[in-house]
Amino acid sequence: MMRTIEVLLVIIIILGASMIASFFAVLPSPREVSPLNLRRLAFTTLQVLDVNYSLSRIVFMSPDDPAWNELRIALSACLPPNIIYNLTVYEVQSGNATELYRFKMSISNAESLGIASDAASYLVASSNVTFHVIPEKIGERGVGGTLYILNCSDARGWWITGYTAQSLAQDLKNLLEPYFKTTVMVQNTTDFGKILNNNTLQGEVVQNAVVINTFGEAIPIPTEYCKQPYYNDNYANYSYFLGQQVRRYNWTWASIVGYPFYYVTNIGNFTNNQNDWGIYGMIKVDKPGMNAFLQGLDNRNYNNDPTDIKSEVGVVSLSSQVLDSCNYYGIYPFPNQTSTRALRNSTLSSYNLYPALQIFNSVNVGGTVYNPGALYNHRSGTRIEGSLLALGLTRTPDIRLTALGLLSYYKPRLYRSEYTATNTSRLVVLQLGLLGGV
Amino acid sequence: MAGSTIDHLISVMVFLGALLVFISLFNQMIQTAILYQRHKFLATKCSDLLDNVLLNPGIPADWGKRNDTPCGFGLQDPEFTQYRLSPFSLMRLLSSSGDKVYYNRTGELYSNVSWGIGGGYFLLQEGECINYSLASKLLGVNGTYGFQLAVTPTVNVSIVEDKNVASYLRLNITVMGQGSPLAGASVDYLMFWTDSSEPIRNSTKTDSLGFAYLDFNGANGLPRIGVSQNKTAYMFIAKANLGGLHGIGYLSREIVTKAGNIIPLVENYGNGTVLLAHKWGKNDPGPGDSQAALFFNATFYVLPDSFSPIKNVTVEGHVTYGEELDYYPIQIPTSQVGYLVVTYWTGNDYGMVVMPWGIGTIGFSVVFGGDPSGQEWVVTDVRQVLVGGIAYQARLALWSLEGYGVVG
Repeated sequence: MMRTIEVLLVIIIILGASMIASFFAVLPSPREVSPLNLRRLAFTTLQVLDVNYSLSRIVFMSPDDPAWNELRIALSACLPPNIIYNLTVYEVQSGNATELYRFKMSISNAESLGIASDAASYLVASSNVTFHVIPEKIGERGVGGTLYILNCSDARGWWITGYTAQSLAQDLKNLLEPYFKTTVMVQNTTDFGKILNNNTLQGEVVQNAVVINTFGEAIPIPTEYCKQPYYNDNYANYSYFLGQQVRRYNWTWASIVGYPFYYVTNIGNFTNNQNDWGIYGMIKVDKPGMNAFLQGLDNRNYNNDPTDIKSEVGVVSLSSQVLDSCNYYGIYPFPNQTSTRALRNSTLSSYNLYPALQIFNSVNVGGTVYNPGALYNHRSGTRIEGSLLALGLTRTPDIRLTALGLLSYYKPRLYRSEYTATNTSRLVVLQLGLLGGV
Repeated sequence: MAGSTIDHLISVMVFLGALLVFISLFNQMIQTAILYQRHKFLATKCSDLLDNVLLNPGIPADWGKRNDTPCGFGLQDPEFTQYRLSPFSLMRLLSSSGDKVYYNRTGELYSNVSWGIGGGYFLLQEGECINYSLASKLLGVNGTYGFQLAVTPTVNVSIVEDKNVASYLRLNITVMGQGSPLAGASVDYLMFWTDSSEPIRNSTKTDSLGFAYLDFNGANGLPRIGVSQNKTAYMFIAKANLGGLHGIGYLSREIVTKAGNIIPLVENYGNGTVLLAHKWGKNDPGPGDSQAALFFNATFYVLPDSFSPIKNVTVEGHVTYGEELDYYPIQIPTSQVGYLVVTYWTGNDYGMVVMPWGIGTIGFSVVFGGDPSGQEWVVTDVRQVLVGGIAYQARLALWSLEGYGVVG
């Protein structure tokens, strides 16, 4: 009898344990088991309503403006019928205000949002807010930082149809000046001669500079180089000299369009010379120019080499890295361009030039790889000794591509300022709840 | 001695009986709790997977514009951030909303996004599509989870001919959201009409019920369009806008003439080859004029954000009943969104069909993935997204494939 009583006592204990366990083991309600992610739904709803800045416009309107009713209808229309909402707008305070957010307006389609709700917030700025973006200067954290833009008044351009070198230079300056420590417009070939001899024009650092040739396929030549030995082989020797100087100063030489080093130009010295197409002040170097430059850059002996190292590869597309940079720097050239002067990759590699940045995706023509646009580093062991940016596109040039190529390579950061000026920012909070169920 | 033995036996039996009852009780409780946990895990997985699909463009990022196979699956528009989907990538998803279409002249199956709904077609050759199996593998859920992704317009712009008005064309436009009508919405519209070389563009507004109508009766700047017979045809597109919410709808007057009609089939996605295929009604043609040639004019319009279509490619030709001219291949540009408007006629019978290039240009829906019916537990999650500026909802249904009981 005692054992039976003991067993009954045990049963009572287990029953007690079971009841206590059931009491504490609270199962979630069915709604919570498989919930809609209301937070993400709320956030995406606000984004959709702000697609053309409509939400940003409406939340700054006075509470009796009919636009609020539009917003109410739009909210009801874009949310499923079983979802109720409360949209509240707060003004963001700044300065010495005691409260950070001040209530401005609220719209809702239900008195309460039930037992389970979630919210997302979205900060919008008034259209009269000015955003500040402070770019990092190239050279601030290391060497270099000088941008030379060839703007020589005594030279003429070729393959830049529709533009003058001077207008391109000005556009490039506007685009790139904020990103460089020093920007120097090289106003004539005499000044160009100075920097070729390591003389500064405005106290800038010549070493590790970027030099952009805005004259297309033509290169300005200072008068002092219109002589022996530079005029050998139609001035191919001058290109050789340029290659040596790019290597010596570790420059990045940027060719904005066409076949680099195809002509030399100096209005004063080549008065009676024209480039076969009626442009006076210019002499055709032809294909040896590019090869001579590569020889100089690779520190080889000069040799007149007329080998053609380009190919017409047709329509090419921007590389994914440069497409990313488009969004980052807010520069949007057309992603597809026509390339008629793509450079043979193997030839450049033989001169120790390797692509550090593919501006356009390379193209394979019959098993040979061509680069329609790339920035090459000339490597001497592990060291970089000079770089070349070559955009082998057809005319007319889009200088945004040059700018984008340089920015994608140097990657200066953008520091965006916060937009919390008084009465210019509002916080929109959308809270969603589910109707029905338990 | 016997009394204590009986006492022992009874106590043991009672104890064992009670133990069994409690074990089953606890077991049930624990089982329910585990099941609840697994269901919750499935819901979390669903939300994660949906964001994973919507917030990355895939690899390569422009796979939606090409006809090669991606090695990473995602639907985000590579030119934007956040929840903006590529109108091109969506086109390449093998539709599970309609049966595939077999075209015996090419011997190919075509993904059926739309088969003539409102005169709109989008049929892409199956081999050019991304199928469910590949997407599952690329998402890493092959064999563990099944899913169905539905991308549908948030705003339904419905356009119908008012049959009560016989003497001219009246179009009734109803703009409905998910939960309510879009009252007071502005509606921009384009009317492509056989008698007008350029589309007619104008706007109207919906009433408190989200309803508007347009009378093409020669008044209020609109031409008179008679549709009592088939002597004319049109394609009408309306874009509604209210409070930042955009929706689009269309109606194309597709008729089957005595010489059949025309169905556009996308044969090669990469280079934009479209077959204008000759389609007959239920029966083959009889003798006489029913075997007449069916003439067509196919024009591709690029649609920029301004809602002002730009005429890009126009091709004229004809198809006939027989083996040689069953279809007419044309080529459209593939890099920009727009639509192909095909006007066809024989004698005095006219019809028109439309094929979008880019989901979203005329408000098509896409359903992609497996069938959730019959699954033990299906969770869904939803996001508001944009496809070419048009508000859409992306709804993902997810279920476990690892046996009954939803193994998380």
